[in-house]
Amino acid sequence: MTGTDVPNGDMPNIPHSPLQDGSAVTDADLVALLAGKLDVTPGLQPVADVLAALRAEPSLGELAGEARALAEFRRRAGMPVPRRHARRSTAGLTSRLSAKAAAGAAAATLVLGGAATAAFANMLPAPIQRLAHDVLGAPDAPSAAQPVPARGKPTAPGRLASHGTHKSNVKPHSTSRHPNRHGHGQPGTSQGQQGNGEGQQGTGQGQQGKGQSGAAHPGQPGAGQPGQPGAGQGRQGNGLGNPHAMRQYGDPHFLWQLGDPHALATPIAHHAWPARYRPAMDT
Amino acid sequence: MINEEFASLLAAAQGGSEAAFSRLWRDVNPALLRYLRVIAPGAEEDLAAETWVQVVRGLRSFRGDEQAWRAWLFTTARRRAIDLARHRSRRPEAPLDDVAVAQLPRTEDSAEVALEHLSTAAAIALVSGLPRLQAEVILLRVVAGLDTESVARLLTRSPGAVRVAAHRGLRRLAQLTADTGVTL
Repeated sequence: MTGTDVPNGDMPNIPHSPLQDGSAVTDADLVALLAGKLDVTPGLQPVADVLAALRAEPSLGELAGEARALAEFRRRAGMPVPRRHARRSTAGLTSRLSAKAAAGAAAATLVLGGAATAAFANMLPAPIQRLAHDVLGAPDAPSAAQPVPARGKPTAPGRLASHGTHKSNVKPHSTSRHPNRHGHGQPGTSQGQQGNGEGQQGTGQGQQGKGQSGAAHPGQPGAGQPGQPGAGQGRQGNGLGNPHAMRQYGDPHFLWQLGDPHALATPIAHHAWPARYRPAMDT
Repeated sequence: MINEEFASLLAAAQGGSEAAFSRLWRDVNPALLRYLRVIAPGAEEDLAAETWVQVVRGLRSFRGDEQAWRAWLFTTARRRAIDLARHRSRRPEAPLDDVAVAQLPRTEDSAEVALEHLSTAAAIALVSGLPRLQAEVILLRVVAGLDTESVARLLTRSPGAVRVAAHRGLRRLAQLTADTGVTL
């Protein structure tokens, strides 16, 4: 009988293991086993043999899949997959950027073109119009002291705006400061009116649009002297059919006139003004 | 382990050298199969092939030493095995022949298998009789040649837990061989 009152023949025959209590195996032995050392305690020698079998040379069966792996490697390594993808993505990116750049350029062109058109049509708000006037040479915005001229009113050739209703706060040049090589009358009077009054400039444009000049119509009402007052206007763009005006481009007086701050604004601004915005001229 | 030549072999393989890649494959694939034979018995060949396919895809971008290389390979293989186990769990109608050895009744049976073969397969069968974590730790430390920190990262455990699992597995293996009188 055993201590548990069980017959000895009924108890299982379990052999006692020397490692059952665990005291025979130390951590140093286990570390040595993991490190692959074979000279361990005799009780751990079977374990060392098992671990050595795990590290054994490969069998033929374990190397049988080499051809399959090499085929996959050959398939992948032979193809420049990353480069091709990179090239595709670069090309796509370039095309997308080009499309965006073209769209942006078109939009900018439309905006700038529209703004320029509106500026030259004098359709912008006054501050922006003045800015456009300074930058682009567009017509200046009308101010309170300078009322908007009446539109589309044709003026008679040879007429001078200084004689109209448009007020000009210009000091007329004296005759002595503007000598006329041709000896025409009072050039100073007409030049002073041309250079400073916008309404006067508009009048001059109206004359130019008709291909005429004040100089070509001597005797018409002007500053008082036939042919003289219009001489300054006629110089600035009505040269067609006007031999007198053509002659004036080579005129040192004309060149001098360009240097004059009052006269300078007149020929440049005249050309840019649409006909319907030309200041009306008094008859 | 390749050791000193590993860097040059890896660079050559990344440059397209088949011989270098073959050397790398021959060095790791047997250990990979032995590891997979324990954690995914019956599917080790397919899982190893899928692992190498994935490794070849990422070979050019791999950076690291031999320890990192092996850790990458075994991590990839382990994830494949986990995916396979999930797939099998969703399809429980698998025939009995495909049931993993690790899922079969163990202890004395594993020892008997080891007694019959006396080979690497017998050693793998013995390790397969250990609890899963202990078996994985021993295989990764002994077969894959990874250090404790690498195994801990691979198994998402702490290094201390890995050391404890390794020691417990070795003690249990020693007890198992002593009980059954296994000699390889």
